[in-house]
Order: sequence, then structure tokens, then C-alpha cells
Amino acid sequence: MKKLIFSLVILFIVSCETEVTNDITLNGSAPRLIINGGIERNTTTPLAEQRIELTSTIGFLDTGDPTPITDAQVSVNDGTTNFDFAHVGNGVYTNSDIVATLDTEYTVTIIWQNEMYVGSDTLTEVPNFDNVYAEFEAETLFTDEGYFVKFDATDPAGIENYYYYRVYKNGEFFIVADPGNSFTLVESDEFFDGQQRVGVKPNEEVIFQIGDTAKVEQLSITEAYHDFLVELFTQTGNQGLSFVGNPPPASIRSNVLNTDTPSNRALGYFYTVDVAEETIEIVE
Amino acid sequence: MKLYVSILFLLSFFMAQAQDQYTLSGYIKDKASGESLWGVNITVSANQGTITNDYGFYSIKLAKGTYKVSVTYLGFKTIEKEVVLDSDQKISFELEEDSAELGEVIITADKATKAVQSTEMSVVTLTSKTIKKLPTVLGEPDLLKSIQLLPGVSSVNDAASGFNVRGGSADQNLILLDDAVIYNASHLFGFFSVFNTDAVKDLKLYKGGIPSVYGGRLSSVLDIKQKEGNTKDFNAELGIGLISSKGLAEGPIFKDENGEAKGSYMLAGRTSYIGLFAGLSEEFKDTKVSFYDINLKANYSINKNNRIFLSGYFGRDNFEIDNFLGTRWGNATGTLRWTSVLSDDLFLQTSAIFSNYDYNLDNLRTGSEFRWNSNILNYNFKPRLTWFINANNTLKTGFDYTYYNFQPGEIKPLKNSSINPEKFREKFGAEIGAYVDLKQKLSEKLSLQYGFRISNFNRIGKDVIPTYATGNPLTYDAVQDIYQENEVTGETAFSKGKKIKDFYGFEPRFSARYLINDNSSVKFSYNRMYQYLHLISNTTSATPLDVWAPSGPFLKPQYSDQIALGYFQSLKDNKYDFNAEVYYKKMNDVTDFIDGADLLFTKSIETEVAQGEGRAYGFELQVNKNKGKLTGWLSYTLARSERKVLGINNNQFYASNNDQLHELNLVGMYKLNDRWEFGGNFVFGSGKPVTYPTGQYEQNGIVVADYQNRNGDRLPAYHRLDVSATLYPKKGNRGKWIFSLANLYNRQNAASIYFREVSELNGVEMSTGTTEAIKLSYFGIVPSVTYQFKF
Repeated sequence: MKKLIFSLVILFIVSCETEVTNDITLNGSAPRLIINGGIERNTTTPLAEQRIELTSTIGFLDTGDPTPITDAQVSVNDGTTNFDFAHVGNGVYTNSDIVATLDTEYTVTIIWQNEMYVGSDTLTEVPNFDNVYAEFEAETLFTDEGYFVKFDATDPAGIENYYYYRVYKNGEFFIVADPGNSFTLVESDEFFDGQQRVGVKPNEEVIFQIGDTAKVEQLSITEAYHDFLVELFTQTGNQGLSFVGNPPPASIRSNVLNTDTPSNRALGYFYTVDVAEETIEIVE
Repeated sequence: MKLYVSILFLLSFFMAQAQDQYTLSGYIKDKASGESLWGVNITVSANQGTITNDYGFYSIKLAKGTYKVSVTYLGFKTIEKEVVLDSDQKISFELEEDSAELGEVIITADKATKAVQSTEMSVVTLTSKTIKKLPTVLGEPDLLKSIQLLPGVSSVNDAASGFNVRGGSADQNLILLDDAVIYNASHLFGFFSVFNTDAVKDLKLYKGGIPSVYGGRLSSVLDIKQKEGNTKDFNAELGIGLISSKGLAEGPIFKDENGEAKGSYMLAGRTSYIGLFAGLSEEFKDTKVSFYDINLKANYSINKNNRIFLSGYFGRDNFEIDNFLGTRWGNATGTLRWTSVLSDDLFLQTSAIFSNYDYNLDNLRTGSEFRWNSNILNYNFKPRLTWFINANNTLKTGFDYTYYNFQPGEIKPLKNSSINPEKFREKFGAEIGAYVDLKQKLSEKLSLQYGFRISNFNRIGKDVIPTYATGNPLTYDAVQDIYQENEVTGETAFSKGKKIKDFYGFEPRFSARYLINDNSSVKFSYNRMYQYLHLISNTTSATPLDVWAPSGPFLKPQYSDQIALGYFQSLKDNKYDFNAEVYYKKMNDVTDFIDGADLLFTKSIETEVAQGEGRAYGFELQVNKNKGKLTGWLSYTLARSERKVLGINNNQFYASNNDQLHELNLVGMYKLNDRWEFGGNFVFGSGKPVTYPTGQYEQNGIVVADYQNRNGDRLPAYHRLDVSATLYPKKGNRGKWIFSLANLYNRQNAASIYFREVSELNGVEMSTGTTEAIKLSYFGIVPSVTYQFKF
């Protein structure tokens, strides 16, 4: 997919991308709170703890990672009980008491720099894969040759489902910014409600070799989180081409709102997901 | 009602005045091809005269007497004839091209004095002859790229579908090809326009002072006329270029016993072979790229006073990547027109038109293959009566009726995919605009053209309209600065043809010209325009996949008011002319998508867009050199275009995507001798608005940018020089060569600058956390050769 640009570029004998990082001066903004994490339910490999990462923004072209927030108070409420999260280092907060439960609305409350941020999401059930397998594919315009992980899955009829896919290669979570992400990594069943889909690639950018281990996760997400991810993957996949969709960039709105100073918005998402997973060995 | 009464009164006044006068009328044609010529000056005395209409017809009422009639049209030899007017007379003229002047004239239809004397302002005309003399990218003369060399006209970038006039958006241009609306004028995602210059006779672009006979768009009217076809001889042309080839055939039909043709035809075709280049490369062998278009026109004179025209256009683009995606789009139009000289001073034209724009988008990825179809179809009926009341007054009246059928989308599974077929509800509408336009010469010095248009848009069934909890699809939450979608609480079904919602617009139009002396004038104009269709695009420039949406319960029509003031001057016996205009345009209820809008495959556009206001103002200057070996023009525009929409950019005005402070165009054509001609143009524009990130964060393993102000930053300035040379054949040979070098000094102009996370380390794809800024430029220096011949 990354090469889509080049296939269009062939229209012109010369056409080019130039790195201009050093010519650009960006206006910065005051650091914003970033939330990255949520509540996960996984019946195959139950999680030992729930995890939320808090950081603050840095300039886009700054080197280094966003600044970890180590002094926030984080808690999650499931409607009856309040669970406090403890900072375990590097901006990561954990709690091992929560038992992720279906059809439950979880609300996160964060207090940072004397301001309160609140957001919630609801955990919905995910169907299992029908089958996960790998197939060899020759080189194409977008990809090198190699083994691709594919799955068959049946969508439950009559209910709105939204999916998010995660692929792990030899235990490492794999993702790269790519224009294809908004079409592959997230899906709505709007047009395939109740159908079995066959031969779907959960991530078109991961290529496996014989002997690799592949883990695929199908996550059930809410419509709001789906819309957030579509926007996120559309923006991060932007290749500057106005004619194949170059949405005017805009801040992607979080579901976690600042209740004290609303204009001092938080970014990122507090999600609740149900995870179905399958692991395979790549063989000939 | 009062207005009608006063108009009737006015008319009866003219009738009374019309006693003891005779009418001189007829047609004016090109002697070589038989094409009718419009805008030809017919003068009968120092201050009495008229011009031919779109069909080459003229009519003038004069007192009994003897007149020396002179027929002048730049590029043609002047005819002078003495006419004794003691009865109504029909005299037609055939003008011969003036070869001495040929090739020197650039803005042919507008002789410098005409620019000064006409009541029209903010108007440009270009003939395809001129367009073909301008240097081109890849050797393909391009109508839309040519008009961008004029003041007040620009585009978002080199590959944008559409153009922007005086700060308006691309959907605010009414593009007419032989009266049929063209909804998308782009080939190859906007690198080329759909108009084959061989098939086009000329164009007229109204940037302001738009007469009441036109309506339906806020910012401009681009009226393009196809060639009628040679009524004298058969003629065929072939052009072979680097990326496309084209052919044209034209000739007389229905010759009578005297060898006079009762009609003529023109058929032109163009096809690209750009896809062949893709096929040559191993890497791109799976990519298919192509476009083609067909233009045709035929006319037949039933008798002296009645003529029938049939014209059509069909074009298609195809872009496909195997196993990934495919898209096709195109326009199809057909126009049947009847013109009739009812009496010496009444001219009636009636057109029946259909126009369709459709696109499909194929998802070819395994497991979920489907085809998405969308189209907009309209039928149009336009009668118009022109009454040449007397030498000082011409009245036009008529109406445009349009029936629309919008098909927002239909999904069909391809192969054995698991996609469920689905069809989104069609939408229907009817638009009618009735107008009166009077051209009036009040005195030697003062001429007016004014009138009004009453427009009405009716959104009709069959449809089902949802009801939202608060009455509106969206509610703006001012505290969190975000739009919340409201819950659908019910729906109302409307049967076929039943009114859902209707809108009325009163559109006054006015322009005045005051002659300071024979060589200079000042002009003023005002117009109000209504637009009932909206092109909903969530990209920075229009794309072929954008959705046209009609006004309705949740989407208001847009309207604008524009005033302009201009000064026109011709110098040194029309060798030069000069004009300067200032304008201010206020736009209301223009649409913009809300932050984070997702328009692909959406059922309810109303939940993705917000409406707000726009303002555009500027100063335009143009100097033309009309005669001599070197001809050309210099144009300069100083302008601003802004939008303000609730919920976008903290509710403050922000620069619109096409905002550009300075724009300078220098166009020159030099005729060395009978064999060599050279052309050049230089373009400079200050940077277009862009939104740069203000921060970064990580989410799900990838780096995400955060933004604050929409269009708060600027791309680097754009500039480019193109040159071309044309070698005409020696006498007897029929071929001609055109060499061109676009972007001579290889400037890598930024089409966009975007920001990304580096996703490769040592050739391995992975998330790196490192960020960079990338400039994308579409073309550097592009040489090309085209060979054309006639047979």
C-alpha cells in the first residue's frame, strides 16, 4: 500500500518526495495529557493485570519519546467498585484486581496537575476465529514475497460489531503507519453483517518466514473507538496526495474529557475490549 | 408582483417607441468553416451597433435611412456594406480570416475596445486557438490549466480536480459544455481536464457580474462551446502526443442541389496510453491507468429561421491496481437544442439536456471484494427568448428547469465475497430558475445590464427522512468544543414526488459601465447567487469520489453576494489594454466537514458537515498586448479567502484551502516567422495554506500528530516557467510539431508537505518512533513532443 503513491507517480516522468524536516519550523503547544490503554478481557490468555499508560505531548519533530507522566492519580470504576491503579514506572499504571466483565461500562478518572479527566467505554463480546492460517504470496506492487497470515471469521447476525486486529510476529506486536491500516486493522460489519468472511488479512504489512510464530487477535470495540481508530489510521497513513484522500488534519478527539478546564483537552483513548486470539507456527 | 407590473410597463414603453423603425437582422459566420461567430460587432454609425448572440444571430432596429454597416471581429477581415433600410432586412455575412493577424491575437473575442465598451466585467473569453498556443505539460493543451493563468483563477495544487475563482471552492463553479452541466472536469485525478481543446470552439468565464440567465453556483460560470463542424468542407485532424492521441473529423451534411450544406457535424475522440508506461515496468504491471473521451456535435437548418443542434460528450477514467482497488468515473451529457428566429427581433432557443456523472470504487482485497457505485443524474429544460427591442435595449427572459436524481451509493459484492448487497436511498430534487435580463444603453456614456432570477429548489420524495432528538443531526457542545451526533428518534416517509422541503431565492443582478472616453471606462457590478447542491469533500481539494448532496431538511442552500468595481483602458490604438478590478464576496451557509468527518460510504451526510460563512476579497490586474509579433498578458492578483464555521478552528476565521495572497502570471507568445512560433509562461504564487502538527503522541504503537489551528501554516511559494516552440509545415505539408518544456528550471514545487513516522529501519518495515517532514512535488522538468496533422 505504501507504494500506491509511486504507482500514481508513474503518471509523471519525474515526481518526488523530499525529506524537508530541517526546513520546517513547527509551532508547539502546551503539553497535553495522553492516555493509551484500557481494560482487556481475554479468555484464552487471561491478563495478570490491566494497564494504562500516561504521557504528555512533545513537539512533532522533537526527537525522543513523549514525556511519561509519573505523578497522576488513576482509577477505574465498573459501576459498583472503584479500582485504583498504581504507577509502576515510565508512566505505566496497573491494577490486578479488575475482572474484565462483558457488557460493563468502565469509567476512568485521572487527576493530573490538579485537573480531573473522565472517560468511559463499554466492553462487548467478540466472536472467535473460525480458522487462522498462513499462505505464501508472491511479490506484488505493495509487498515483498513471503507468508501472510489470514483468517476466516463469522460475524454474529443482527448486532452491530466493530473489530480491531492486532498481529504479533514472534511475540512482538507489529504495526507501521500505512494508508491501508484504516481499511484492514479496523472493520465495521455494516456491509457483512452475519456473514462468514474468508481469507482476510488482519494486517497486510506483516510478512512471515518459515519458522516464525504468528499470533492474531480479534478485538471487539465500540463504535466510538472504531471511529477514533479509523481517523487515527487515516491521518497516520496520509501520504500528502490530495486526490486519494488527504483529509485536512485535525486533532483526534479523545473519549477522556477534562472536566475542570475543557480546553485543556486530553488525547488518546481509554478503551475496553474483548480479545479472541489464535497462535500458529509458519510451516511450509 | 409589483416587479412584474413595472416590467410590463417598461415593455409597453419600448413597444410604443418602436414605431417607424425597421429591423436589420441575420447571421454571421466564418467563411472558411461555416461556424457561426458570436460576439461579432455590427456597427451602423458612430454610436449605434449590436453584437451577435451565441448562435451568430444579430438584430438591430433602426430608423428608416441609409447606413454604412461595418462588421468587425478581431482576427477577421472587416466587411463594410451600404444598406438602404426602407423595410425589414435580413442580411447575413461571412467573415474571412485575416491571415496577417492570425497567430498574433490572443484574447480574440474581446477586442480591446470591446473590453472597454462592454457592460460586462469580471469576464474572460479564450478561444481554443489561444489555449493551443500556450506551453503545456506533456503536450496536451488544457482548458482548465489555461484559465488558471488569468487573474482571480487558481487551483489548490497541480493535481487538484477543479479550480477556484475569487476565493470560492471548486464546487461553486457552474461548468457548462454546450449547456450541459459537467460535475467533474478532471481526468487522471486532476492532472488533466476533460475538455478536448480540438473539439472546443471557445469559452467564457464569468467571475463576477454574472447575468441572470445563469444560476445555481456561487462563484463562477464557465460556459464552454463545442465546435459546430465545418459546413463547407470535410476536414480531419490527428494529433499524436506523449500520453494521449486524438482525432477529429468534421464536415457538411445534407447538401442541397446548389451544394449548400443544410448542416454539419463534428466528431472528436481522445484516448490516453499512459497505462502502457505502467505496463513496461515490472513493478507496475498490475496497475491500469487510462482515460478517453468523445465529443460530438451536429446541426441541421430546417429552414432559414429554424436550426437544430445535437451535441454530446462522453468521458471515462479508469484506474486499477490488481487485487487491491479499482476506480472508474466519468461524465455523459447530451443536449438537443432548437433555435428559432420567431420574427426579425425575437430569437428563441430551447434546450433539452441530460447529464450524468458517476463513479465506482472497487475493493478488490481478498475476502471482501465489492463494488461501490454512486451517481448524479439530471434532466434539464431551458427555453430562452431574446427580444432585440431596439438599438438600445435587448431583453432576455426564460427559465431553467432541472430534475435531479442522486444515487449516493450502492454496494454490490464481487466474486464470492461475503459482502451483503446494499443500496442507499436515492434522493430527488427539482430546481427552477426564472429570469429577466435587460441590456440597456441609457446614454452615450452609460450602459446598464440588469435583471433578476427567482430560483426555487424542491427536495422531493420518494425518501425517508430521519427525525433527530433535538431537531438537528448535530449539536455543538461549546464547552468541549465538539459536535455530538444526535439520536435518531424516528423517521418520516415521503411518497414519490411529494415535497420534503423547498427553498426560494431572489437573485438580483446588476452591472453598469460608464465611458470616460473612447478608450477608458469604469464598471460596477453586483450579483447575488444561490446554490442548492453541495459537493461534500473531506479532502483538501476535490476528488473524483466526492459526493454531491442536495439541500434538504438538514442542509441549507448556500448564497453569496459579490460587488466589483473595475477600470478598463485601451492604449496605443488597442495595441495594449489594461484592466483592474476590486471585489468583495460574502458567502453564506458554505459547507465544511466537521473535524474527524468520515464521508466514505456514509448514509447521513448531515451528521458529517457543518455550515458557516465565507468571505473573499481582492484586487486583480491584467495587462494585455494584443498586436505585434509578441503578444501576451501579465496578470496579478492580490486576494484573501476565509471561512468561519462553528466548531472549526476555535470558531475563528481561517484561510480557505485555496487562499493565496499573491499570484502573478506572465504569458507571452512570439511569432518569429511563418514557420516558428514560441510560447512561454511564468507563474508565481505565494504559499497555499496547510495545517502543520503542533505535537506528537503515541497510540497503539504508532506516532500520531496533534493539530490546533486549521490552515494556520503556509507551504513554500510556487513558481514555474514553461516554454514551447511550434514548427509549422512548409507549404503543402500538413504536419506540425509542438515541442515543450514544462517547469524549465526544474523547480520542485511543494504540492503538499506532510508529516509521518519513519516506518523503515535498514530496509525492514517497523515502527521506529522517529518523525520526519516530507515534501511531495508532482513534476520537475517535463519535456514533450506532439505531432499533429490535417488530412
